[in-house]
Amino acid sequence: MPVIAACEIHGLASMDDKQLKTALGHWLDSPPRRIDRLILQCLLAAAPLKSQVRRNCGLYLASAHPARATMGALLEAVCVQHKQPKPFEFVNSVSNAAGFHIAQQLSIEGPNLFIGAGAQVWMQLQALANLDLQDGLIEQALLLVCDEHGDFCVQAVLLEGATAGAYANSFAELSADTEVLRIKL
Amino acid sequence: MTPIYLQRAALHCALGDDLHHAAQALQRGQAPQGEPFVLHEVQEPRTYLYAAKTGESLSERLDRLLAETLGGPPQTLDDCLLIVASTSLDISELEALTTERQGFCPDDSTSLDLLAHQLRQRWGFAAAFTLNTACTSAANGLLYGARLINAGQYARTLVLSFETPSAIAMQGFGALMLTSPSGQYRPFHPERDGLLLGEAYAAALLSREPGDAPLARLLGGFSACDTSSLTTTREDGSHIHWVMQQALNSAGCSAAQINLVKLHGTATSANDEAESNGMRRLYGEQMPALSLLKPWLGHTLGACGLSESLLLLKTLQLGALPTVDYASEALLPFSAEPQALAADSLLLTNFFGFGGNNASLVLQGCAQGDSACR
Repeated sequence: MPVIAACEIHGLASMDDKQLKTALGHWLDSPPRRIDRLILQCLLAAAPLKSQVRRNCGLYLASAHPARATMGALLEAVCVQHKQPKPFEFVNSVSNAAGFHIAQQLSIEGPNLFIGAGAQVWMQLQALANLDLQDGLIEQALLLVCDEHGDFCVQAVLLEGATAGAYANSFAELSADTEVLRIKL
Repeated sequence: MTPIYLQRAALHCALGDDLHHAAQALQRGQAPQGEPFVLHEVQEPRTYLYAAKTGESLSERLDRLLAETLGGPPQTLDDCLLIVASTSLDISELEALTTERQGFCPDDSTSLDLLAHQLRQRWGFAAAFTLNTACTSAANGLLYGARLINAGQYARTLVLSFETPSAIAMQGFGALMLTSPSGQYRPFHPERDGLLLGEAYAAALLSREPGDAPLARLLGGFSACDTSSLTTTREDGSHIHWVMQQALNSAGCSAAQINLVKLHGTATSANDEAESNGMRRLYGEQMPALSLLKPWLGHTLGACGLSESLLLLKTLQLGALPTVDYASEALLPFSAEPQALAADSLLLTNFFGFGGNNASLVLQGCAQGDSACR
């Protein structure tokens, strides 16, 4: 695939959301408010690519898990405390909120998909993006995978143009010929 | 886009435990019976539209749905992609666990891909993934599943979509003040007061071949993100209009060729206003036949792209669509008489959701038993 930029963010499990918000402030002038950890993590990997992203871009986002803290707060509120959920927590959980905020912050106007990240996630994202690139619906595609098992890692790749070749099966393979911006928080 | 057939399908919903009975109930104008629940804190009653209670676990229910969809003797599925399109996934099971333990343990959190992975293992699908784009999940599942077939990635795609009766969804939409206090589901009514949520399980098998009894051909579609608001789309209808127009372009047809538009119609103030404006931008005052399905199914969230499409297509095969009993008062020109359209009518179907997700599909129905549907 024709990769024009790539970014990889690593963060420790001990980093709280306030620290992530501070880090995001280095990249975005007006970061969104009332966002959860998954949205923060995804924005941290997408924001460094902002200058290279054009409006005619699609977003193809994957995560292995939902935002666990948001899910836990909703479950505790509704099932244990018998309270109504906080509206922003509910909306963040039920929608593709991370994809929305990335699209809004990077002014992306194309398709915006969110999938669960399984073993074949990079090939699946490339296959979905390539449909829209081949059909000329978009000129660029931003692919992003968030993984959090204790520490977290978010990888982002910006593609320009469709491919007729085989799909890479990992971030490393996909970004092999590109200088990857690696950030350790 | 090269047309792709909806070769086989199944639906369990508030109108019936199979697609045929649900379509017959819709034709008769037989409204589903809702059940009350109470919003926490404010202690106000609301209504939920359950599917038939069967005592099955979610896995058992999905296995039955898949068996009904595939039909016949067991078959190999190593040429078939599975797309699981849902916002609820296994949340009802997590809710039960949290209630039982009186607390949520982070280790109980399951991966977003768990159900897709388990179904792939049990049924032998070539590949599987979970797709969640809020209320456009199933519509995107149909659109991208069909296009992956056209790209030669898979011979078939099975789109499996469902929404379980989640307490978080019921309370969450209540907290947003989007659920109907009156219990009357009246999209585009000037005094509409919100939505009723509904439970549904739906599946469709997509293929280049029509099979024995195809329901429809998917001719095109489009999906994009309106970044103006996380919870509403632009009220002037401009983004909805653009998405509908792009969908028509992808199908190679014009707005004037469309025989019926299936509206998203949530009965929330902002959504119906935006969709009305989008429709006027596309059609002016001369609109084709219009259809509403949420009053019959409830809002089935991520599953509505499939539950509503299947119910519409099957009902058109059987005969006329029911009237809208408040047609003369509605924001859009609904029919006060039953609408009998040809089974092979061209349909534009709208699905909009949180997260700015807007999607439209273009479908052409197939007459019942017409295996040569073209």
